[in-house]
Amino acid sequence: MNVLDIRGLTKKFGEFVAVDNMSLTVREGEVFGFLGANGAGKSTTINMVSSLLRPSSGEIRILDRDITKQSRFAKLNLGIVPQDLAIYEDMTAYENVSFFAGLYGLRGTQLKERTEEALEFVGLCDKAKSLPKNFSGGMKRRLNIACAIAHKPKLIIMDEPTVGIDPQSRNYILTSVRNLNESGCTIIYTSHYMEEVEEICSRIAIVDHGKIIAEGTKEQLKSTITDVKDIRIEVKSALPAAAGALKAIPGVRTVLQEENMIRIHSDAAVDNLNRILKQLLDDGMEIRSVEEQEPNLETVFLTLTGRNLRD
Amino acid sequence: MNILSIAFKEIKQDFRDWRTLIFMLGFPIILMLILGLALTNAFSGDLSVGDLEVVVKDTTGGGPLSEAFAAFTKEAGKSGITFDSLPAGKNGRTEVENNRYVDYVELSGQGISLYGSSRSTIESNIVQGMLTSFADKYNAAAAVAQTEPAQVQAVFAGGAGSDYIKELSIDADRTPGSIDYYALALTVMVGMWAAMPAGGLIQREILRGTAVRLVTAPIRKSEIFAGKVLGGIATSFLCVIVIFVFSKYVFKAYWGEHIGIVLIVLFSEVIMALSLGLAFSYLLKGSASRGIISLIVQLMSFFGGAYFPIGDDSGGGIMGFLVNLSPIRWGNHGLTQVIYGNDVSAAWPAVGLYLGFAILFLGASIAAMRRREGL
Ligand SMILES: Nc1ncnc2c1ncn2[C@@H]1O[C@H](COP(=O)(O)OP(=O)(O)OP(=O)(O)O)[C@@H](O)[C@H]1O
Ligand SMILES: [Mg+2]
Repeated sequence: MNVLDIRGLTKKFGEFVAVDNMSLTVREGEVFGFLGANGAGKSTTINMVSSLLRPSSGEIRILDRDITKQSRFAKLNLGIVPQDLAIYEDMTAYENVSFFAGLYGLRGTQLKERTEEALEFVGLCDKAKSLPKNFSGGMKRRLNIACAIAHKPKLIIMDEPTVGIDPQSRNYILTSVRNLNESGCTIIYTSHYMEEVEEICSRIAIVDHGKIIAEGTKEQLKSTITDVKDIRIEVKSALPAAAGALKAIPGVRTVLQEENMIRIHSDAAVDNLNRILKQLLDDGMEIRSVEEQEPNLETVFLTLTGRNLRD
Repeated sequence: MNILSIAFKEIKQDFRDWRTLIFMLGFPIILMLILGLALTNAFSGDLSVGDLEVVVKDTTGGGPLSEAFAAFTKEAGKSGITFDSLPAGKNGRTEVENNRYVDYVELSGQGISLYGSSRSTIESNIVQGMLTSFADKYNAAAAVAQTEPAQVQAVFAGGAGSDYIKELSIDADRTPGSIDYYALALTVMVGMWAAMPAGGLIQREILRGTAVRLVTAPIRKSEIFAGKVLGGIATSFLCVIVIFVFSKYVFKAYWGEHIGIVLIVLFSEVIMALSLGLAFSYLLKGSASRGIISLIVQLMSFFGGAYFPIGDDSGGGIMGFLVNLSPIRWGNHGLTQVIYGNDVSAAWPAVGLYLGFAILFLGASIAAMRRREGL
């Protein structure tokens, strides 16, 4: 069964088209990755699915039912983890989860059980009576998730749930996503972090300028770019001018420089490694190591959009 | 059910924001203390009942009304109110307008008519209250006279004298002083303050990001709206009650005999103020609305007489116009008559105006809310 069906979805803000005739299907049991650079239109799409924004045109179905015609059904089956924290700082963690779960019709002992369950799920049981004011960033993010799951939705949409938090909280959240998925939830996961998406998502869509430009499992996506090789060269101290000269070498598509690491995407068919190395030596750089990487999601993204995901 | 849980959440949050709460309650109480107690002397000269001078013209040429009225003036005179006959060739209204008397009473074949000073509202209300009581008794006596003439004297004997003064409802030992004035004026002002948090009622959810959760929950937008309005009204009215109780029991301010009516007026005022704030926050998006609302409330307080009495309500001119425009004035005016004039019906125009405008503002807010995406 399709948990989410999007057909020809468009959202315009004035003249600006934020989401452009997008179609997308998410099946039951998937952890669906939604990848895109800043301003690609991810949040706008999610906001339309959660009926926060009205589509300019197009159709959205959750569990095969139209979300405008059967909005109550759609909302009952949907849990949202918004990109911006959506919790009350002046209410305890328990009160937060309990208030929102109450809006889904939970009452009495069931409400209490589900609230406790959700807090336990994100590891905030011992903080149930504390105000989020005093929480760390990671704890707030976890509470943000707890508020979305107490009513046990079929579909959970997480919009950058790991933004700006410590590695420990991040691991906690990634594990929770897996656990939620195993307990039968379908998940749509948006992130800037390729490693995360690669680690937990079973299928991925890449969005750019409001359009989906590629979709599939990570293996499928990677196989689309067998014609590209990803060369990483570590030098002792990279000179800022290096990139320009390298780009002139035949076959080289993009050059990225991150401190002492120079990353080059080049046509696999062109044998140009020697010329690249010679250029660097001529420019007076001292080479420490050279490595040719298997293509990963980042390579895919870069190849398709010509941009790095994290600008 | 959802409406109640949203309203309850709203109240809970408001009461946890103790900084704002302390200001909301502390400021008017301190102001009441300063203005009410420090300015007592300046006030009591103006307001003591003993200073009330009324001018009377009797055109009935004797008869039961004249007699009854003579008895009444004698009794009222004991508590320091002077009734002078209008000298021939003078106009009673002009006398009042020139501030020589607070009221002009005319006895004629049609009955009693009263022309009050617009400058001394409280004093005028006192006389009006006494006359109303007198007229009631006189009418009762007249009705009795038609059937059992012998009883007339008894009716007047029982009712005459100090009773009129009791009906005034002023403590024997006290005159309406500045604390009474400011208790009323500042409580009405606090009622109008409901407009300020109302501006943030919806805005706050948007800023906190929680609007997203409310809108994605399986509840109607109208339920969110109703819950928030209900919660906002409850908190603001509780603040008004606290100020009211404090002024009544700690400052011993006089609130009259009709506490229920007073509270109804204040309640309708809170509803109006909240709707006003809400409507503004919808019409002027963003944080600008907050500043504008608080400016409006300040102006209303000023012109409505929250800080010092602005008496000229019936007088023309731009000042008179602005004064009557202030919703705080409506409440002040109506309540003064209820409290000092013993005139319950004076409450209804204020309540009517408040609820009328509340409906207008709420309607505008609902229309704006429906058009908006999200909350
Ligand atoms: N309410 C709005 N009015 C006008 N433009 C908007 C509005 N909301 C979003 N946009 C624009 O639409 C585009 C898509 O925004 P969106 O938030 O969907 O991006 P995103 O993919 O979620 O980016 P990020 O990774 O930064 O969260 C952006 O260019 C943004 O400026
Ligand atoms: Mg986003």
